[in-house]
Amino acid sequence: MSIIAIKALVKDYDVNGIAVNAVRGIDMTIDKGEFTAIAGPSGSGKTTLLNIVGGLDYPTSGSVVVGDRDLSGMSSSELSDMRLNNIGFIFQAYNLIPVLSALENVEYILLLQGVSKKERQDRAREILIEVGLEKEISRLPKDMSGGQQQRVAVARAIVSEPEIILADEPTANLDQKTGANLLDLMHELNRKKNITFLFSTHDSMVMERAERLIQLSDGMIASDEKRR
Amino acid sequence: MKGRNDYLLEPKLAWRNVWKNKRRTVLTLLTIVVGCGMIIFMNAIATGGHEQMITDAVEINTGHIQIHEKGFWENQSIDYAFVPDDDLLKMLSTDERIAAITKRVNAGALLSFGNNTYAAMVQAVDPEYEKKVTVIHEKILEGGRYLNVSDRTGIVVGKVLAKNLGVAVGDEVSMISQGFDGSIAADNLTIVGLFDTGNPELDQALVIMPLARAMETFTMMGYINSIAVRLKSVDDMPSVRSDIMKRTDAEEIEVMGWDGLMPELVQFIIMDDAGAYITDFILLMIVAFGILNTIQMSVYERIREFGVMLAIGTRPSQVRTMILYESVFISLIGIALGLLLGSAVSYYFSIHPIDYSDYAEEMKVWGMSTLLFPARITALNLWVTSLFILVLAFVFSFFPAQRASKLRPIEAIRHL
Ligand SMILES: Nc1ncnc2c1ncn2[C@@H]1O[C@H](COP(=O)(O)OP(=O)(O)O)[C@@H](O)[C@H]1O
Ligand SMILES: [Mg+2]
Repeated sequence: MSIIAIKALVKDYDVNGIAVNAVRGIDMTIDKGEFTAIAGPSGSGKTTLLNIVGGLDYPTSGSVVVGDRDLSGMSSSELSDMRLNNIGFIFQAYNLIPVLSALENVEYILLLQGVSKKERQDRAREILIEVGLEKEISRLPKDMSGGQQQRVAVARAIVSEPEIILADEPTANLDQKTGANLLDLMHELNRKKNITFLFSTHDSMVMERAERLIQLSDGMIASDEKRR
Repeated sequence: MKGRNDYLLEPKLAWRNVWKNKRRTVLTLLTIVVGCGMIIFMNAIATGGHEQMITDAVEINTGHIQIHEKGFWENQSIDYAFVPDDDLLKMLSTDERIAAITKRVNAGALLSFGNNTYAAMVQAVDPEYEKKVTVIHEKILEGGRYLNVSDRTGIVVGKVLAKNLGVAVGDEVSMISQGFDGSIAADNLTIVGLFDTGNPELDQALVIMPLARAMETFTMMGYINSIAVRLKSVDDMPSVRSDIMKRTDAEEIEVMGWDGLMPELVQFIIMDDAGAYITDFILLMIVAFGILNTIQMSVYERIREFGVMLAIGTRPSQVRTMILYESVFISLIGIALGLLLGSAVSYYFSIHPIDYSDYAEEMKVWGMSTLLFPARITALNLWVTSLFILVLAFVFSFFPAQRASKLRPIEAIRHL
């Protein structure tokens, strides 16, 4: 059963009266539990695609269904609720709230969801241990390395067990080895919790680790292959 | 769903954000503390100074309240005289709020000594009672004395009038005026003392003579021109005045408070207050723009952070609330410290009033006899100042907060 269904998706940006075609007709479906990479050169439309799937941007035409929700009919506050409860986000960098510790950053999502304090702290601590940050639990973002910060972001994205995790170039600011470790961690969580991951990259090391690789070029799908 | 309703979330984040940039927060606090302190102190000096001016003016001659026959104050003529009834006198002598009363005859007169003749205001009093209402007896210059009960023809006069006439203590002057019955009133009076009140009008015209003698000289037949009332507290003036009015016939008797007796003083206080309000306003604006600047800087620096918060499901209203809390927290701390500073400085100046004695001559030009200006802190001053700063902080932070909450997450995240 598909968890993301995209049909005839088009996104044009208006730049000073000139239309920029960021996405030019994409059809694809992603099934629950997939570990999919969207690859392609800079400007090929990866970020645009992920933003639309995540309800952060509206398509020009076409339809996007996430879970059983057709995003085209949703208000901005419904989209905000969906982002809180059904989607986990990992951005390229500076994901975290600077004044909150690792534990509090992870708790933050649960706090917004109204989870009780005790349960919040237990779950956040547990997930931080799972991503290997037991010792960093009470550190502030500024006192952690880039790789550790991204792990906290992964923990925050996954702690509420969303349907999908969207990650836009999560390794772009990390060195090769740290990036590979982060991806291995994501893959492990994907298998263990059966959570769908959709991430973008232009790094071949990351592409190698994907189970499915969708190549974009000029806002269209150039290739789509299952690796495993 | 219970979600999104953790009311402690925004204040907690706000509190930490306030202390994230300590330097900026401390500078903002300094602006608020100094601004708030200065406003409180300035208002305290104005309140204390005005009260002192009222007290001084009331004590020198007018009293807090005067009772006349209707029309006396406007015409200042001996013809407007009355006989107070027993009911009124009983009330005046038993009312707890009243410290003392004094009966007076007031007449315009010409005073002559040798070839010099000057216009004067004669105020005839019973020294025993007058001393409990006014303080002229404390302003007698060396070499003279105030009237006492055994004086028949003794008078005390202002030092400027004495200088103009060329008289000294012991000299006899002749006075000519008109009596209550329309006859000529003339008398020879002996100067027993000179006074220096600091009030130019009094020092160059006032003559104080014994009431008993004036009754004969002016043919008063038991009538008087005024009763001056001194209260224990200036605050009771309106209520005592209205109580007296209830016992008198408004068609015949006028009951005037110090404000009606000294409209120039009221005018001065209003003008002075207006000046203080302008300064208050400028200080409030400095404080408000200090807060605005801080909030704007801190919002601008955190655009990306707000983008992430909004992207992961934080409600725009939560972002706005958080920023408003930041502003309110900074303001509350600033106000608390500002209240302390303002009260401490005001307290010092309530014990050590600002002293203008060195400028006594300049002050006289303005008709001011008050030389010591103590500060007085009132609850109203503290409340109004605090509330103004708090409300301004809220209003001035609302727009940056609103802008932050309306950010589009994808654009905000791209922002550096
Ligand atoms: N907000 C925007 N306004 C105008 N053009 C945009 C905007 N976002 C993206 N684009 C354009 O859309 C195209 C796709 O961009 P993007 O989705 O960011 O690609 P990628 O993430 O693969 O680098 C690019 O040509 C880019 O310049
Ligand atoms: Mg991109």
